[in-house]
Amino acid sequence: MPEALRSPETVGRVRDALVKYGFIAVTVVLFVFFAATEPAFAQSSTMFSMLKFASVTAILGLGVTFTMVVGGLDLSIGATAGLAVQLAAMTMVFYNLTGPTAVAAVLLGGVLVGLANAVLIVVFKIPDLLATLGMMFVIQGAKLIPVSGQSVSSGMVLRDGSVAPGRFTPDFLLIDRGFVGPVPLPVVIMLVLVVVSWFVLSRTSAGRILYAIGANPEAARLAGVRVGLYRGLAYVISGLFASVGGLILVSRIGQGDVNAGASSLLEAVAVALVGTSVLGLARPNAWGTLLGALLVAIVLTGLTMKGFQYYHQDTAKGFVLIVALLFSFTLSRRKVRYTPAT
Amino acid sequence: MRISTSLAAGVAGVLLLAGCSQGTTDEETEPAAPAASEEEAEVEETTADAPAPFDQDGVKVAIVQQSGQGDYFQQYLNGTKQQAEALGIELSVYDAQGDNATQATQLDQAIASGVDGIIVRHGFPDTLCPGVNRAIDEGIKVIIYDVEIQQCAPDAVQTQQSDVDMAGLVLEKMAEDIGPDVNVGYVNVAGIAPLDRRDTVWREYVEENGWNQLFYTGTFTNSTATDTAPLVDNALKSNPDVVAIYAPYDELTKGTLSALEQNPNLKGKVLVYGADISTADIELMVAEGSPWVATGATDPNAIGAVVVRTLALHMAGELEEMKVEFPPILVTQDFLRENNVRNMDDLRAAEPALNISDVSAADWIPSVTF
Repeated sequence: MPEALRSPETVGRVRDALVKYGFIAVTVVLFVFFAATEPAFAQSSTMFSMLKFASVTAILGLGVTFTMVVGGLDLSIGATAGLAVQLAAMTMVFYNLTGPTAVAAVLLGGVLVGLANAVLIVVFKIPDLLATLGMMFVIQGAKLIPVSGQSVSSGMVLRDGSVAPGRFTPDFLLIDRGFVGPVPLPVVIMLVLVVVSWFVLSRTSAGRILYAIGANPEAARLAGVRVGLYRGLAYVISGLFASVGGLILVSRIGQGDVNAGASSLLEAVAVALVGTSVLGLARPNAWGTLLGALLVAIVLTGLTMKGFQYYHQDTAKGFVLIVALLFSFTLSRRKVRYTPAT
Repeated sequence: MRISTSLAAGVAGVLLLAGCSQGTTDEETEPAAPAASEEEAEVEETTADAPAPFDQDGVKVAIVQQSGQGDYFQQYLNGTKQQAEALGIELSVYDAQGDNATQATQLDQAIASGVDGIIVRHGFPDTLCPGVNRAIDEGIKVIIYDVEIQQCAPDAVQTQQSDVDMAGLVLEKMAEDIGPDVNVGYVNVAGIAPLDRRDTVWREYVEENGWNQLFYTGTFTNSTATDTAPLVDNALKSNPDVVAIYAPYDELTKGTLSALEQNPNLKGKVLVYGADISTADIELMVAEGSPWVATGATDPNAIGAVVVRTLALHMAGELEEMKVEFPPILVTQDFLRENNVRNMDDLRAAEPALNISDVSAADWIPSVTF
C-alpha cells in the first residue's frame, strides 16, 4: 500500500467523506439494488406509494426533530396522532360536522397537547421524556373514553341503538386520497412541511436560538434567550405536526381506528435520529429526517417485494438505523449535539 | 480499575454458577428448535389441464394481510403459500403488522407491482375499498377474506368462514343434549362482525327451544379470557341454576371455563358450548371433567389454502358466486377422547373434513391437504 494512503490525512479525509455522504450513499445503493432486481420497484406508481408511505413517518419525525433540536424528545406524538384520528372521526360521524371543521378540531387538539407538554416541561420542570411519556398514556386512554373504546365508522350503531348521523366527508378523505397533478396530496403536505421546517430551523433567528438551547441551555439563558418560551414552542410545533400526521392517517384509514398512530412513535423517533447523520451535520435537521423516512420506506418496500417476512424487515430496519448512527456518532469528529435532557 | 475487576469477577462467578446448574442434567440435550408452524402439505393429483392463466407457471399473486403475527395467521399464511406453490403461483406477501394505514399503502404497492390477482385478508372496508375498486378497474382479480367489502366494492369476491354454520352445528348439538325449556347462560360481545353473525343464530335457537336465558355477559379486550372470567363468575353466583352456557369465541369460552372452576358447587352441572379450535383449546376440552363439550372448528391452514383456490377459479373465469363461505365442522369432547386427539395434528389426522379440499375445487386445481 502506498505510503500516502495510510497517512493520517487520507484516513481522515475518507472518514469525513463517509460521515458526510455515507448515509446518502447507503440510500442510493439500496434504491438502485431494489430497482435493478425488482422491476416493479422502479415504477412511478411504486415511487409515489413509497413517498406516501413515508409521509406520515416524516411529518411526525419533523415534530420530533424540533424537540430534539432543543435537547428534548416528544414521546407523545404517536398518541397525539391517534387522538387526531378519534377527533376527526367523532367530529364528522358523531356530530355530523363538515370536513374543514374536523381539520380545525384536529389541529386545535394537537396544539393543546403540545401546550400541555410545554407547561409540564417548562413551568413544572418535569424532564421532557417523563412528561411526554405521561402525556402519551393520558391521551391513549382519554381518546377512547368518548367512544367507549370502539372504532368510529360511518353508519355505526350507537349505544342507544340509533345509527350515527354523520360520515367521513369526501373532501376530508381527499387529504390522503387526493392528488396535485400526479403527486399524492400527503406527499405534497410532507414536502411543504419539510421546507418550512428547514427554513425555520436554518434560516431564521428563531431556529438558531432553538439549536443554541439544545447545545447549552444555560449559555443561551445567559445570552438573554427566553429558553422556556422556545422550548415550549418546540413542543407545540411537535403536537401540531403530530396532528397533521394523524389527519393523513385517518383519511387513509377512513374510520376512527383505535389503534392508529400507535406504531408511529418509534418509527418517527428513529428517522429523526437517523437524520442527524446526513451530510455530517451531526445534529437533528429537517432534510435528514425526510431522508431517514425515505430510507425506511425503501427498505420496507424493497424487502416486501423480495418476499421477506415482517420479522426480517424489522431486523433490517434496526440494522439500517445502527449503520446510520455509526456514521454520525462513531465516525464523526464533530460532537453530536443531541443530548436528551432527563 | 477496581470497578472493572470486581465486575469481571462477578461475571465469572455468574458464569460458573450457570455452568454448574447445566452440568446436573445427564441427558443429552439437543437445542430444540421451536415446533415449525409450517405444516407439510400433501398435494392432490389433477385430472385436467389448467385453463389460462394457469396453463403456465409464474402467475403473480399478492396477499395483503392486515396482520401476520401469531400462530393462527402464520398457519393461515402457510396454507396460502402451499396452495399457491401447488398452482405454480408466484406469491408476494404484504404484511401491515396490524396497522390499517400501512395496509392501505401496501394494497397500492401490490397493485403497482403488476400482479394478476390479490388476496386481501382482514382490515376495514372503509380503508380497503378505494384500493380494491382501483385494482378491479385495472383488471386485477380480487378476493377478500373476512371483510364486509361488498358494501363499498360490490365487484370484489367476499369470502369468510361460515359463522352461521359454526353456531348452528354447535347449537344443534346443545339442543340435543339439554332439550327445550331449560335455563341457559350466554357469553358474547356485540359489535364484532363474526360474533354478531353467531349471535343471530343463537337468538333463533333460544326462541325455537324456549330456552330461558338467565344471563348475557362477556367483554372483548386485549385479554378477553381473563377479563371475561370474573363477569361470568358473578353471573353464575347469582344464577347457579343454568344447565348450559354458550360462549361462541374460544377466548370467551376459556373465560367461562375458568369462571366455572371458581364455582366448584356447579361441577358437573353446567355444560359449555364454544367455538373455534386450537391445540390449547383441545387440551381444555379433553381435560379431566372438562365442561366444554362441543365446539365448531376450521383449520387456518385449510382456510389459507381455499382462499387461493377461490382466487384461482376467479382468475380462470370459473367462479360462479361473488360470496363464498367456508364450512366449519362440529368437534365434540367425546370425539376427541375416542380418537385420543391431543393437538391440531391429531385432529387433522382424525378428521380429514377439516381440509375442506372439496370447496372451491376443480379438476385442474391440485388441492393441498394438511
